[in-house]
Amino acid sequence: MTAKLNVLRYVLGAAMLGLWRNRTMTLGAVVTTAVMLVTLAAFLAINDTLNEMVTALGRKSNLIAYVRDDARPSRVTEIMQDLEQRPGVGEVVFVTKEDALRIFQERFFDQRDVIDILQANPLPASVELRMDDPAVLPALADELRGMTGVFESVAVPLDVVERLVSISNVSRAAGTAMIVALTAVALFVIANTIRIAVYARRQEIEIMKLVGATDWFVRGPFIIEGAFIGLVGATLAAVALVVMYLQVAPTITRLISFLPIATDVSFVRNLAVFIVLVGLVVGSIGSYVSVRRYLAV
Amino acid sequence: MQGVTKSYDGEPALADVSIAIARGEFAFLIGTNGAGKTTLLRILLREEPFDSGVVLVNGVDVSRIRGAALTKFRRRIGVVFQDTRLLPNATVRENVGLPLQVRGRANREIDVAVDDVLGRVALSDKGERFPRQLSGGEQRKVALARAVISKPDVLLCDEPTDSINPAHAREIIGLLLDINSEGVTTLVATHDSEIVNNLRRRVIRMDAGTILADEAVGVFNTS
Repeated sequence: MTAKLNVLRYVLGAAMLGLWRNRTMTLGAVVTTAVMLVTLAAFLAINDTLNEMVTALGRKSNLIAYVRDDARPSRVTEIMQDLEQRPGVGEVVFVTKEDALRIFQERFFDQRDVIDILQANPLPASVELRMDDPAVLPALADELRGMTGVFESVAVPLDVVERLVSISNVSRAAGTAMIVALTAVALFVIANTIRIAVYARRQEIEIMKLVGATDWFVRGPFIIEGAFIGLVGATLAAVALVVMYLQVAPTITRLISFLPIATDVSFVRNLAVFIVLVGLVVGSIGSYVSVRRYLAV
Repeated sequence: MQGVTKSYDGEPALADVSIAIARGEFAFLIGTNGAGKTTLLRILLREEPFDSGVVLVNGVDVSRIRGAALTKFRRRIGVVFQDTRLLPNATVRENVGLPLQVRGRANREIDVAVDDVLGRVALSDKGERFPRQLSGGEQRKVALARAVISKPDVLLCDEPTDSINPAHAREIIGLLLDINSEGVTTLVATHDSEIVNNLRRRVIRMDAGTILADEAVGVFNTS
């Protein structure tokens, strides 16, 4: 037990000494890790923002189902409750005939005479759907059109919806492909940097093995060094990411204020935690794998 | 070692080599460059596999050692490599103490042992230096100190006096004899004729991967 504690103490000390005595290599590896992770994280943030934008556009595309005057209110309520449960449906709002008239009067206040000459309110009540996913709109519109006893007509901007759906699909597919590729490149570059650092010290590994060191005795300091490099590099990347996000997000929000994009601090915080974990794991595993090939002495 | 053969890419390095060295014995392994001396030492340390034959060190069949047993095996052997193989980024003290560090010894115990062995090789004042700050002879002495600090059963030395001044060479050979007198089986590969001729010890003569002669009291016959 004492021997194991002594070895543990040695391994920790050797890791710290190794980092310091190979500081140029350490610095290079930390900077490479930071640059790769900040690039990856920035892309993840941009991709998330683009997806948010597409979703926000989707929310702007509504379906309006005009309710027949003779429709049973209980039936309308029932349908609305059902619609609220449907996937892709964000919000279901009932606009009464009175509301419709008020909105008309507000929007067309210079044409009030048109309404005034009528004895009764000609505008129908309606059920408005605000969508989370515009892709489900066409099918939903068809379904509501089939309820002829409840709805007079159903209005849906199909051309806009189709375009939005295709933009959304392309954007998500391209984003996913880029994320996969960029993640692979980032992991490869970080792991390779660590491999080069280990390669430069392969003779150390061989010597330690020849004087009777166990594999874990040799590997321990390298894994700690790799974890340290990954952790520090990733932390620098996370800090850079948070600073950039806090600086850039308000500008984006201002520039495209017509879209309700949330500058979500929790998203960037989660992303920062994620890349720190990635750095830590890739650093340790990268070292473990790199050292392994030189242990067979 | 019985009937050991070893070749590199079809080129024979050792051909049917058989030698026996008794516990506590001192022997020189002599021969020109390429005679097979280093290959033989590397096989004894299980640094290099061999093609056929049997090698027993401390009663252990070298070809069968794997994993933890290999670690244990190497801890009983001290080695002075031809190129010293000191850790370039570690101080003299750290290099010398390494065999005890890998055994998990306490720092206090290591410090005492390092002080003792550095005193023996007359490098007490160079403990905090790095290998690059030492002369070739001093580096050899550090390598020797590292090889013996753990009091091994067997000491293998590959050209321990190569390219160093005669004073350092005599000092190193004196240390090797001292260590051998403590019961450590010592095998020294060399082509330093002066040392071999002066010491009058057992000489195993190699050439082109074979044993040419094995003399109880040999001399370095350059012919």
